[in-house]
Amino acid sequence: MPLVITFLAGLFMAVQFFVPHEIGVTVYRGMLDWAMIVASFALVLGISSLLRTHWEKIRRRRRDWPYSIVAIVSFFLMCIVGIGYGHQPGTVFYWIFDYIQVPLDATMFSLLAFFIASAAVRTFRARSVEATLLLVAAIFVMLGRVPSALLVMLGDTGVGQWLYDFMPDASEWVMNVPTVAGKRGIIFGVSLGVIATALRIILGIERSHLGGGGGGGAVGP
Amino acid sequence: MNHHRVVASALALLLAAGLCAQPVAPSDVQASDNPDDERGTVLDVSWTPPRELPDVPGMVPIGQQVLYRKVGGEIQAGPLVPLDASSASLPGLKPWPWPAWEVAVAIVWEPAEPLRAALDASRWTLPARGAVRSQFTAPVRPVGRWYDPTLTNILISALLICAIVLGTLYAVRGRAEEIYIRPIAGLEAVNDAIGRATEMGRPMLYVSGLGGVSNIATIAAMLILGHLARRAAAYETEIIVPCNDPLVMATEREIVRQAYTEAGKPDAYRPENIFFLTDSQFGYVAAVDGIMLREKPGANLYMGYFAAEALILAETGNETGAIQIAGTDADTQLPFFITACDYTLMGEELYAASAYLSRHPLLVAQLRGQDMAKTIIVAILILGVIAATAALFGGTVAEYAQRFVGWFAA
Repeated sequence: MPLVITFLAGLFMAVQFFVPHEIGVTVYRGMLDWAMIVASFALVLGISSLLRTHWEKIRRRRRDWPYSIVAIVSFFLMCIVGIGYGHQPGTVFYWIFDYIQVPLDATMFSLLAFFIASAAVRTFRARSVEATLLLVAAIFVMLGRVPSALLVMLGDTGVGQWLYDFMPDASEWVMNVPTVAGKRGIIFGVSLGVIATALRIILGIERSHLGGGGGGGAVGP
Repeated sequence: MNHHRVVASALALLLAAGLCAQPVAPSDVQASDNPDDERGTVLDVSWTPPRELPDVPGMVPIGQQVLYRKVGGEIQAGPLVPLDASSASLPGLKPWPWPAWEVAVAIVWEPAEPLRAALDASRWTLPARGAVRSQFTAPVRPVGRWYDPTLTNILISALLICAIVLGTLYAVRGRAEEIYIRPIAGLEAVNDAIGRATEMGRPMLYVSGLGGVSNIATIAAMLILGHLARRAAAYETEIIVPCNDPLVMATEREIVRQAYTEAGKPDAYRPENIFFLTDSQFGYVAAVDGIMLREKPGANLYMGYFAAEALILAETGNETGAIQIAGTDADTQLPFFITACDYTLMGEELYAASAYLSRHPLLVAQLRGQDMAKTIIVAILILGVIAATAALFGGTVAEYAQRFVGWFAA
């Protein structure tokens, strides 16, 4: 039965893309609504998993268990203020979201700058031909984006001025020609992979996601 | 207040008398189905507006309003357009099964200042506007489309690729064992990663990205998890799977449970190791980073769809000294994974992983189908380059070349 449902739903979704008819749009929206309903049931599973995981951590006094108290208290606090006082702009729920959750998210995101720096230092060591090419391309792109750095380094000399004019064009070429060519190659491969994966799921060739043996079920070497 | 009522009554009478005395309405109203409307909810209306409008004391015309009704139904107001307009679209009609509508156009009048203020102050429920409308048209039915012809090129390409993939699959399935699959270092390293985690007595961490259960990259990640969990079960290595989507969590629990059962180790399955954290992107990253730093997994695997969190995860994992294998179809995140991980599955390799790991004849045969499709795409690309170049030179050949390129670009 799951395979039949998968086949029919997959076939419908593929056909629906080409059919702007109201029937297709209505059934499509209905299926999305059903997906949301199923997801809302799954949310109960998720919340139960979240609470159980943190409760077990507290109960067994695992490492950093006090943070689990913070997680559980925060969860119930948001539930109480959200359900009790609403979640429109101006409510306590919104205030907590704006002044606690958003800054915490921004803090995590800002770590990316430091991680990029550390990863770049490691990657740009010219230990192989590929790494050297990467380093050269990166230099072109970085100096092309901030060409005034050349004037600072070389002064307003003839070479400095020439590089100041040349680097932005070189940077654009690197970004628009070799980079886009590589990306499009990857995108072609990904698209074919997506089509092939969708086909084998729709046709029931791949069944391991259903928890059965099926095509992908065999244990490899 | 009485004074205002008198003024308002006078105005209403004036309006009625003025409009009735010199009725001027749009004429020659036509309605037809909008050809660009796919759903069948829009009518195109055209008419001839009156050349001159009569002077009605105290009243000003404010525009023309499209009116519509079902046959024998109540009149509803459509869009209000300027006085010189001669056409309008009537959107938002009831879709399938597309009832028929009668359409008319009216000139709408409104009291001019200061009489309008007097009317407002009277708080009467008298209509503050007057209208003179045309005759209703004969019933017109908008019709939706069953096929979008602008997508023909996509439909033909999709059918062609599906036919190639499936045709090749069934042509070579009997001799799939003979098909050569180039070694994929990232997948070859999966066994090493499990072995390393087992030797160190540490768990493995499997992160299936940010995508929901409908994301094809997440589905590919779940397929890989199934194979990985079978091997982990065989080695009795603990596998931790933090999820950011409850549906993905539920599916992955089922996949891992089945894998442990198939490996003959159902008792070793620990559902509490596959758990939901949060659907907040950076909250999820913070939690997974915490798990890495506390549990010190021997191997970290990142498979699926990733966004800005990719490098934060991979760099933190790198700091813990774990062997790291990543696979994603997000081309913007691939450089970060290549930088911070030991092995990276790039794009299509993520989707080939299931076939590679299982070596199931049908799946391996399908890889050959993908390669055939890729060959044809490359051939079309080369033809496209030649055609685009030829299109620059003019002449009949250039015209055909331009059509060829345009068909794909449409």
